[in-house]
Amino acid sequence: MLELMWENVPFLLKGAYYTLYITIVSMLFGLMIGLVVAVARLKGNRPVRWLARSYVSIIRGTPVLVQIAVIYYGLDDYGISFGSLTAACLALSINTGAYLSETFRGAILAVPKGQTEAAYATGMSPGQTMWRIILPQAVRIAIPPMGNTFVGMLKETSLVSVIGVSELMRQAQLLQAQYLRYMPFLLEIGIMYWIMSIGFSAILERVEKRLARAY
Amino acid sequence: MKTRKRGFLVTTLMALAMFSLVLSACGTKPEAANSSNGAGSSNEAAAGNQLEAIKKAGVIKVGMMGTYQPYNFLNDKKELDGFDVDIANELAKRIGVKAEFTAQEFSGLIPSLQKKKFDAVISQVTITPDREKVIDFTEPYITNNVKIIVNNKTNDITKLEDFKGKTIGVGLGTNDESYLRNEVLPKVGDFEIKTYDDVITSLKDLNSGRIDATINNLYALKPIVDKNGFQIKAVGEPIKSDQAGVAINKDTPELKAALNKALKEMKEDGTYKTIFKKWFGEEPKE
Repeated sequence: MLELMWENVPFLLKGAYYTLYITIVSMLFGLMIGLVVAVARLKGNRPVRWLARSYVSIIRGTPVLVQIAVIYYGLDDYGISFGSLTAACLALSINTGAYLSETFRGAILAVPKGQTEAAYATGMSPGQTMWRIILPQAVRIAIPPMGNTFVGMLKETSLVSVIGVSELMRQAQLLQAQYLRYMPFLLEIGIMYWIMSIGFSAILERVEKRLARAY
Repeated sequence: MKTRKRGFLVTTLMALAMFSLVLSACGTKPEAANSSNGAGSSNEAAAGNQLEAIKKAGVIKVGMMGTYQPYNFLNDKKELDGFDVDIANELAKRIGVKAEFTAQEFSGLIPSLQKKKFDAVISQVTITPDREKVIDFTEPYITNNVKIIVNNKTNDITKLEDFKGKTIGVGLGTNDESYLRNEVLPKVGDFEIKTYDDVITSLKDLNSGRIDATINNLYALKPIVDKNGFQIKAVGEPIKSDQAGVAINKDTPELKAALNKALKEMKEDGTYKTIFKKWFGEEPKE
């Protein structure tokens, strides 16, 4: 069994590459979406707030699998066609964005009100206050829950195997069919997912420490 | 207060515009890195003559399960291999292009074909009237006999009537599934249908007793049983015989004609027979 696992490491690593790729791309875009939506919910005017809230509610209230299918198959009905990898990144970005926006919103609200007042008192505009005073502090608060979301995302990438992306899970399925064995490959990708999530956690921990030092 | 509020609206709108821009950038970037996935968007090929588009691209995009020995599976070199792959490569060669494969679960293959993610699906897609309503097929390139398959220990199932009260496994979205649901179930009475995304899983569950029987064709069974000694057997007479064709989109008459011509030539010059013998160890019966 170990031998079987060992000789298929390179093949599974190809899958791990896509898993990481999708995770990182979706994380980056998810962060941007999350930030924008969080600010929109807190500071936007009524229609903007309503739009942001609906987005969060819809995305959190429907399964990722459905969202992936909507983007890959559903949008195609209206002539919007994505390749499988693009569709995967897009779906997961939009999904993570919704969760992260809640994390950021909570974090922004957690920054004491006095900070805003003090910033205004020094003559800063609301925009400056947000970017220079509130967000830097909010990001620090948001890091631990962000870690949760990232690690969750890493594992959710396995769902995009259904639209034909050769990520880790899909590669394992192909091997299972080739060797007609399950456990070695499940164990193997389990370890790979685990290592990757440890990596993410370690990076976030460093970021957290670094940010703590700055203040 | 008023101006402050307007300031925020402007920044928010600008940010939203930026993020939609960035997202559309995401739409193109991963594509470049997606060479091995092969399921890139091909909506530009949707209009007009698809055969021309394929020739121009030099590549025909073929979808298959990749988990269905000996038809399509990974070989020792970790490449897709099998009867379907050989047929697809031969067809591509005769059109003057290369075949590019994407492995995807069977239930998603036809939707992906319809969405033009593939040019063709060559994955033992059985020709049925229901499917012919939504997609097109070439002439059949193989006939498969489907039998009932049970665990070696099972002696009380030899015909479809014995399914009553049992749990029967079948591939999700396959022709066998609709056959079980629409024809066998009303005739035989209550039995449970459990669906699978690949053949191996269903046979594994059969081997370990999680299901009582499955139906599948004998060619598909042989390598699996040979390779890992599942304690399963085929029983009774064939319950049906299916013909599989190359599945393509409806609006592609030129592609269909070209594929049919290539198939005909393959059969005439003996290439087809060679491929068939290579995978099934016997001569094609047709």
